[in-house]
Amino acid sequence: MTLDSALLYGSFTLYVGCVFLYLGHALTKKNLLHRSALVLVILAFALQTLCLALRWNTAGYLPVTNLFSTLFFFSWSMAATYVYFELRYRIAATGLFVMLLNLVLLTIAIPRDPTFPPLYPALDTPLFTFHIAFSFLGYAFFSMAFSMGVLYLIQRVRATALLPDLPTLRKLNEEAVFLGFCLFSLCLIIGSYWAYVAWGYYFSWNIKGIWSFLVWLFYGGMCHAKFVRRWQGTGYALLSIVGFGVVLFTYLGIGLLMSSNHPLD
Amino acid sequence: MDKMALMQWYLSEGLRGPELSWWVGLTGVLILLFALNTLCCFIDWIFRFRARWRKSGEYLIHLGFVLLVTGYTWGAFAGQRSEQNALIQGQTMAVPNMPGYFLRLDKFDPQFSPEGRPLDMINELTLLQGDQPVHSATAYTNNPLMYGDLVVIPISMGRSATGFTGSLNELGQISMVPGEIFRVRGMELEILEFLPNVVRRPGGVILPAGPNLANPAFRLRLTADGQSGEFWYLLREGLPQPLIQRGLRLRPANPIAVNHSLLTINRDPGAGLALAGGFAMLAGVIFALGSFYYKRSRGDRPEIV
Repeated sequence: MTLDSALLYGSFTLYVGCVFLYLGHALTKKNLLHRSALVLVILAFALQTLCLALRWNTAGYLPVTNLFSTLFFFSWSMAATYVYFELRYRIAATGLFVMLLNLVLLTIAIPRDPTFPPLYPALDTPLFTFHIAFSFLGYAFFSMAFSMGVLYLIQRVRATALLPDLPTLRKLNEEAVFLGFCLFSLCLIIGSYWAYVAWGYYFSWNIKGIWSFLVWLFYGGMCHAKFVRRWQGTGYALLSIVGFGVVLFTYLGIGLLMSSNHPLD
Repeated sequence: MDKMALMQWYLSEGLRGPELSWWVGLTGVLILLFALNTLCCFIDWIFRFRARWRKSGEYLIHLGFVLLVTGYTWGAFAGQRSEQNALIQGQTMAVPNMPGYFLRLDKFDPQFSPEGRPLDMINELTLLQGDQPVHSATAYTNNPLMYGDLVVIPISMGRSATGFTGSLNELGQISMVPGEIFRVRGMELEILEFLPNVVRRPGGVILPAGPNLANPAFRLRLTADGQSGEFWYLLREGLPQPLIQRGLRLRPANPIAVNHSLLTINRDPGAGLALAGGFAMLAGVIFALGSFYYKRSRGDRPEIV
């Protein structure tokens, strides 16, 4: 087993462990279990970061050119955003949901081919690295918003002490949408400039270009919706869930099922 | 749709299938109305700047969007796109849709990995206005030649036939490429032109039919006994009469091929405005992020209940 595989499986195991600890915390409400889960998340994230750095160093470019590596990078971005929110706001039991989502990504990624395909000459530019990094960090914040939206609805129905209160969940949801929108805007600005120097036009009518623009418009709309009374709270949570569906379609649906200029395999 | 500027596409292709393209027009109108709405928000903010200056980041994003839509609309109406322009080293071509301008490929250097995988294409290009150079650049992947609203991008490369090797009577092995002159038996045979693929129109007119080697032809000039005449030699049709009559056995054997660069040549007068929009949006995002964390650090967040 190579070092990067060992790091990958190591982080996966630790993520599984932290999910169980979060589950134990949800059932027993023991604070020690939550703290232990957080330690495991940070350890798993550290191993995943090492794995990413090793793969980046080996490939000579940010390895995000096939389905395995994009899922892996998406998972890393999600873990990074979760660590950010957890350290900043101590969101406790929300970790169970977010880490489960992260495990789903890694579970889909692990059976796939992790080898590096030869890099197309057009991708050999820092614009590619920044475009992809901001794209997946944006997606990760949108995933976080989705998680907060789902948890908001659960909290509203169940009123459990395990989850943060409704105003906090709403605030975190709004923050995730705002940060995701900012990062996704950077992704589109860089991508448009890159398209201009690589293809001679900055907007492509390819299905990926259209749906990325729709994602941007949707979350731009959400940045405004938080000021509209009827969209606050439940409406905003529902919008976060719908938005994540649009993100998933843009990333996986188009990349795998349709012919686009952003193929995944 | 990316092969043409949007309006050009809509008028030439879109209108041929309105049941499939109606959404493009509708989307265009909706986005323009949306941009107008965004502009109104931005103007409203300008008038209230003293009270709302801390929202500068958000409103710069609004301005960036308006500039981007305006730039795109301008380019959609006035832009031009041209793909698959093949140029071999030393060749000059008229820039499509830019009368009076020419593009010369001074040097073409394709780069390959040891395994033979194409890595890059180094194109030394000169843009000429008439016969005066106005701009030179080394263009390669992700590094186009840019001049005003013109962008020239090396997209790919291929092989072009430029002539043939062959034999001519007692001269033995010769290279039949334009510019070569052969003197044999007191006669002079000059290769004036080579076309890799031609069609013969009614009346005997020869027209070029593309860069692929399919029906190659030479235009020749034969000077003998103080008289000179030009004629075509279509290889598939056999030796032309003037050569047969003079006993000249011109026998092409193998094509001579050289690399050519395939260039995309686009013009987009709105690109500069769109770039300004991109910068406004970038500045807006950075300012909005800074402002967000500054407000959060001060606990300054208006609660909306």
